[in-house]
Amino acid sequence: MIRRILTVVLVLQFGLLGLAGYGFAQAAKGNLVVGVAGPLTGTSAQDGNDIKNGAALAADIINKKGGINGKKIELVFEDDRSDPKEAANVANKLANDKRVLAVIGHFNSSCTLAGAPIYNKAGVVEISAGSTSPAVSQAGPYTFRVIVTDAFQGDFVARWMVKDEGLKKIAILYENDDYGVGLKDVMNAKIPAYGGQVVAAESYYLGETKDFTPYITKLRALNPDAVFIGGLYNEGALIAKQAADVGWKPPFFGVDGLYSQALIDLGGKAVEGTRVAGFFHTAQPDPMVQQFVKDYKEKYKKDPGTYAAFGYDALMVVAAGIEKGGADRAAIMKYLTTLKGLKGVTGVNTFDANGDVIKDPIKLVVKDGKFQPYVKK
Amino acid sequence: MAILQQFAQQLINGLVIGLIYSLIALGYTMVFGILGFINFAHGDVYMIGAFLGLVLLGTGAFNFAAAMLGAMILTAVVGVAIELVCYRPVRRFGKGFEDAMLVSAIGVSIFLETLAQVIWGTETHPMGLVIPKVVYQVGGLYISSLQVLIALVSIGLMIVLHLFVTRTVTGTAMRATAQNTMAARLMGISVNRIVAVTFAIGSFLAAAGGMLVGAYFDAVYPLMGWTAGIKAFTAAVLGGIGSIPGAMLAGVIIGIVETLGAAYISSAFRDGFAFIILILTLLFLPSGLFRVRRGEGKV
Repeated sequence: MIRRILTVVLVLQFGLLGLAGYGFAQAAKGNLVVGVAGPLTGTSAQDGNDIKNGAALAADIINKKGGINGKKIELVFEDDRSDPKEAANVANKLANDKRVLAVIGHFNSSCTLAGAPIYNKAGVVEISAGSTSPAVSQAGPYTFRVIVTDAFQGDFVARWMVKDEGLKKIAILYENDDYGVGLKDVMNAKIPAYGGQVVAAESYYLGETKDFTPYITKLRALNPDAVFIGGLYNEGALIAKQAADVGWKPPFFGVDGLYSQALIDLGGKAVEGTRVAGFFHTAQPDPMVQQFVKDYKEKYKKDPGTYAAFGYDALMVVAAGIEKGGADRAAIMKYLTTLKGLKGVTGVNTFDANGDVIKDPIKLVVKDGKFQPYVKK
Repeated sequence: MAILQQFAQQLINGLVIGLIYSLIALGYTMVFGILGFINFAHGDVYMIGAFLGLVLLGTGAFNFAAAMLGAMILTAVVGVAIELVCYRPVRRFGKGFEDAMLVSAIGVSIFLETLAQVIWGTETHPMGLVIPKVVYQVGGLYISSLQVLIALVSIGLMIVLHLFVTRTVTGTAMRATAQNTMAARLMGISVNRIVAVTFAIGSFLAAAGGMLVGAYFDAVYPLMGWTAGIKAFTAAVLGGIGSIPGAMLAGVIIGIVETLGAAYISSAFRDGFAFIILILTLLFLPSGLFRVRRGEGKV
């Protein structure tokens, strides 16, 4: 008898919890709702939260100035956990929410690509603050990004390694997903083009591979001049540390995926000397960048990372779309296709036919425990 | 000669990770031997062990060895608590509730993972390592001091376990209970107490594995129990589930096969090798390497 009552109570409880999970958030009337989708938890959580912070800061600043045409921006945050399956769920949720005018997202290229068909079908702009895979260029007319493609970044780093530094034999360790494979393909093409040689390319799994010793042993035996890491900060730190554990210290190179404070927090001394291409640095003299750094520090009590800057720019772009195009999904998209020369903290935003941008990269190096602009000796 | 050297180096890599799998596999195999139940939450107990060690290290009051021992003891308590709260009450319902046990184990697993995420967040935490790291060069092979430490500690623990199980009264009682629970009861063995001891030992070892892995990869995160748990489970099956020497050997085999496979066949397929072994074992050698005769009268 008691058991039966208990069962009924439990079932009711779970039922209520399930309803609560739908999160029927009541937006204040007239707010401009923008979705922000990214990894708020999981192995890329630091980057996802940076984007969230950057976007929230931009929204705050706009709202303090009175909003857009008198209406305030309201952000809705969704966590895709760097999992493409979850990204698709999130995309469905945001696309089906009629109040959402545009979505800033996602971060991981595989997640952006997973969401793209859904956003494009529903006709809502998906603007990524972190996906660099070349595949995103063809993801659809509603898919944009404020970050450059790896085709561009990879080319820059390949030239840096082979031509500027004279490192000819390169070994590649890459993430086995859209991001990493895209990078690997670019490096495989560009390194030989500049006169270098790819001696090996081994892959690993984002968030899952922790033991890199077999790859380190294998690559070490080939004696490369440098190792290019086609992946994100977590694995970058582990690779550097495990290599240092067995006394191997090759020069490590990467693109924006490694450019995160977490690389240094996790990698410590092992990542000293790692070189990356980036698009934002707190020491840049540009007044807009300095104002952003100041505002960010005031709000969050820490320095902004590169993805916070991209998140900030993404929201600025969306805000421009709402302001100039209208509070309507299709109007925003139409406006974005014409957007040219919108200055942001990561560079100037001009969308090409694929919704991509071109920005000038900066050479950065981890020196004395911080990312600093790279100066060739 | 360089090829042989490379091979030897990879063997070392595989051996080290394999020993960790062995430590965790022991927990699976011992619990199965006595209860006929696969404790799916065991991988997460290993994770909790790593986190508890991280917490102890964080207080600054413990050095690595003390933190590891502390974590092992605490995790043993956690393991027993799980048995008392989540498994024993289900077992009391009697025969026919094995599925309920599995569901309970999965529930515990999800609970532990979520609890860890709530308390410590989902990012990866470095251990903030306090062990001096030295690289030894032996005949052209590079061995890190951490690798040596892992080898010594895990082999040491397994030797101690073996002695415990074969030379002490409680250990003999464990073996008796695994062989035939009804007969063990008739001999005056408190089966419930033995079960609790088994969970305690399994969790004790898993925590050691967790700490060593946390130190080796300098990475502790809530979902670390998942992959390691599956591979350790595979090791337990390959070794002959219920067999302690089997688990010890099979863990090393899996570690080596996985590492050699990743190095020589395909790095992308790395985790797949463990699962291939699992499938092949179940197809061709389901009783595993060391067959364990299961008596009647299971709990």
